[in-house]
Amino acid sequence: MTTTNSSDNLKLPEAWAGKYLWCFTLGVILIAASGLVFFVGAPSKTEGLRFGMHSYLANFIYAISFGIGGMFFVLVSFLTRAGWSASIRRLAELISMTIPWVACLFAPILLVVAFSKGSALYEWNFANVEDIKESIVQAKVGYLNGPFFATRAVICLAIWSLIVGYYYRLSRKQDETGDVRLTLDRQKWSAVLMMIFALTVTMASFDWIMSIDADWFSTIFGVYLFSASMFGFFALMIVSFMVLQRNGKLKDEVNIEHYHDMGKFLFGFTMFWSYIAFSQFLLYWYGNIPEETAWFRVRISDGWQYLSYGLIIVHFAIPFLGLLSRHVRRHRSGLFFFACWALVVHWLDMTFLVMPNAGPFSMIMMFGHMLGGIGMFSLFIGFLLLRASDAPLVATGDPRLHEALSYANPLL
Amino acid sequence: MSEKKSQAATAKPKSFGWIAEYVDEHSLLTASRKVRDSGYTKTDAYTPFPVHGIDEALGIKPTILPFIVLGAGFTGLFTALVLQYWTNAYDYKYIISGKPFASWPANIPVAFELTILFSAFTTFLGMWALNGLPKLSNPLFNSERFDRVTNDRFFLHVDSRDKYFNRESVKDLLAGTKPESLEEVIEDSSPTTLPSVIWLGLGFLFCASLVPVAVVLNMRAGNDENPRWHVFFDMDFQPKKKAQQTTTIFADARIARPQVPGTVARGSLVNEDPFYLGYDPTKQASLNATSNVRLVSAADDKAEKPADASPDTPSDKTGSVDAAKPTEPANVVEPAKDIPAANAAPASPVPAPSATPAAAAAPVAAGGPNLPWISEFPLEVDASLIALGKTKFEIYCSVCHGYAGDGDGLVHRRAEQLQQGYWLPPTSVHDPRIQEQPIGNIFYTISNGKGKMAGYGTVLSPKERWAIVSYVRALQRSRNAQIDDVPVELRAKIEEAKKAE
Repeated sequence: MTTTNSSDNLKLPEAWAGKYLWCFTLGVILIAASGLVFFVGAPSKTEGLRFGMHSYLANFIYAISFGIGGMFFVLVSFLTRAGWSASIRRLAELISMTIPWVACLFAPILLVVAFSKGSALYEWNFANVEDIKESIVQAKVGYLNGPFFATRAVICLAIWSLIVGYYYRLSRKQDETGDVRLTLDRQKWSAVLMMIFALTVTMASFDWIMSIDADWFSTIFGVYLFSASMFGFFALMIVSFMVLQRNGKLKDEVNIEHYHDMGKFLFGFTMFWSYIAFSQFLLYWYGNIPEETAWFRVRISDGWQYLSYGLIIVHFAIPFLGLLSRHVRRHRSGLFFFACWALVVHWLDMTFLVMPNAGPFSMIMMFGHMLGGIGMFSLFIGFLLLRASDAPLVATGDPRLHEALSYANPLL
Repeated sequence: MSEKKSQAATAKPKSFGWIAEYVDEHSLLTASRKVRDSGYTKTDAYTPFPVHGIDEALGIKPTILPFIVLGAGFTGLFTALVLQYWTNAYDYKYIISGKPFASWPANIPVAFELTILFSAFTTFLGMWALNGLPKLSNPLFNSERFDRVTNDRFFLHVDSRDKYFNRESVKDLLAGTKPESLEEVIEDSSPTTLPSVIWLGLGFLFCASLVPVAVVLNMRAGNDENPRWHVFFDMDFQPKKKAQQTTTIFADARIARPQVPGTVARGSLVNEDPFYLGYDPTKQASLNATSNVRLVSAADDKAEKPADASPDTPSDKTGSVDAAKPTEPANVVEPAKDIPAANAAPASPVPAPSATPAAAAAPVAAGGPNLPWISEFPLEVDASLIALGKTKFEIYCSVCHGYAGDGDGLVHRRAEQLQQGYWLPPTSVHDPRIQEQPIGNIFYTISNGKGKMAGYGTVLSPKERWAIVSYVRALQRSRNAQIDDVPVELRAKIEEAKKAE
């Protein structure tokens, strides 16, 4: 069926060519504007830098989480030899291939770690160990120090870039040759790389997010970031395919069965995110030990409680009940609505992870943070458009493509 | 069976509808769509494997099971929340980990599990009910060709109970789909009711199940003078001897054997040594007639057991004594001249030798036994013993008495916070009354408890208890320390601090 399609059907709409420049411009302007809001709106320069960096980090995690989700989806597709997803996997590969470019956006954080005096972002980031307030954090400087932090970040981002680069390169090669061995190679590596993925995502979440409040710890934190990333990733996939199909592309390659399955994943990861977030909360709530509850303490005070408790409604109850019915998951408009909803609440979730540590809630700060968030998402879309501009949107050489095209969910 | 069948055969056989046979699923799907479009709804397809799209082709409406399951899930959620609220916050209020009685985060796991449980059971049972299961037989099994449905053939069945069913028109319709074969299925004429033997069996089982209930009710309600039934005879009457019974195995015919000379029963070693008691039982014997008699009789292996062996003081609770340490019977009452108990409280009048047990027990009732406490440690006191005492004190005592012994432990503070009127504050070890208590008395209190405080004799070894006593003494000394108590090399430091003030 694919072979009969004209290859135009598998390309980005022509009207979109060069639009990535618009995205980059908009992104840079908005991020600069958010920086301005922080420096004007904050009571002091130090506070401004502090809020600005927390906001930038939260938005950076938001942007890279899609790539993390895409990487996992590609790996797990090969690990399980999935046939149904062969027609939608190329978009996941393209999303994951934004990682090398989004990784460059980590540079400002490294600069702040290297040059800021005092803790603009990370509690442990002082030149002198004595300057660190908490003695517990002082004891952790063997791991949490500038040079080692930067080394780990670079290694982690490099490993991810290598993984996604390898899978993308082989996938593109297969477009031309259709060689089955390329699939077998990727299957072979998927198991090992899956373990590396788990370790690096955990390390990244510990380093980048958890160490903001360095005396707090949660061993489940990597899983939390993973569940949130998958939630955001599937939402992005659904929205992207809907937009592409509205522009007349991929009409036959992605059908309601694929949407149904992506909807199931979105629903499943709604539940999984809630499960992980609640597990983390319940243990600390029950133990009620000061150094363990501190992280939640800042999140249920100073105005942040509305966000934290609100997440239970908007990130769990509404998508859970909304996506519970298969009729919604098989209904284009319904699924599109909840996917857009998920993209927004995923950003709120990343805000919840990072921002309360910057200081009390204030509307002006949230306004700046929102500008930065839209700017960062705009940059991300720019990267994605640039990546997709010269590649077919379906892996046409995949030996399992026919499975995906004739795929139907069992039962009605 | 065959008789009945032949009887039924005389009646006109009732049609169960038509079945059409197909060789592949594509022709089945095509035929299904055609039948659906003709308006028939009581149809079904039988295939050797799941065929995608067959529901749509047959026009089968989506099941309502999900809504039933959703309702069951909410019922489970609601049940769990109400159950937990009622038990924790209403019926049996109990503080757990200092959390509120109605503690929603703690309720969520149970609510989650019950939601899943109710949903899962409803899904399973609802699926059976909606499919009309269990269905023990189907008239289609009468068709011989139909056997191939589990192998390589596909069948489409139009039921005669369909409201538009017409024998000839259905036949024409199905014939138009070019089936491999077309056959009319005859309704199974065998009786649909269960055979009477099964009813009989079920009835018997039901009646049998009532017997135990009836027996129990009869036992509980009746007032028969006869002994109860022994359902398990060999459990009620085991081939063993109980205390106070006779035997032919031993010459003295007693089944309860006397202690073998030179041995000590487990847990009975203690009663003679102040190390285990905190007081001197020899002196106690001289003050208490009953103990005295006991001690004497225990010292003599051949003595008969005293008839009035009712325990009157805690020290006598085991009733067995170490025979290896015979003690001189002391009939003379010695005034407690070297008994430091005199310090603690005005010494209660020493009981006369002829005092009744009731009189001897009087001090117990007054708030604590007045025993000949020892005032010297029965073991060597050194830094390691005090360190052991500190460890054990902080584990077992500090929760109530506080780390410094002021009686302000966490349990006490929590009780005050809750304003529990019935809470009796723990005693401070710095209370003058406790400071004056002889160490034996403190040891006794630790071992056996006092007031609301439980005894720790079962969890702490005697050495650990003495270690705690030594640590309590150290705590008390810390509030009343003299300069002589400070090591010589540190005294200068204190003098300096004094001058600085």
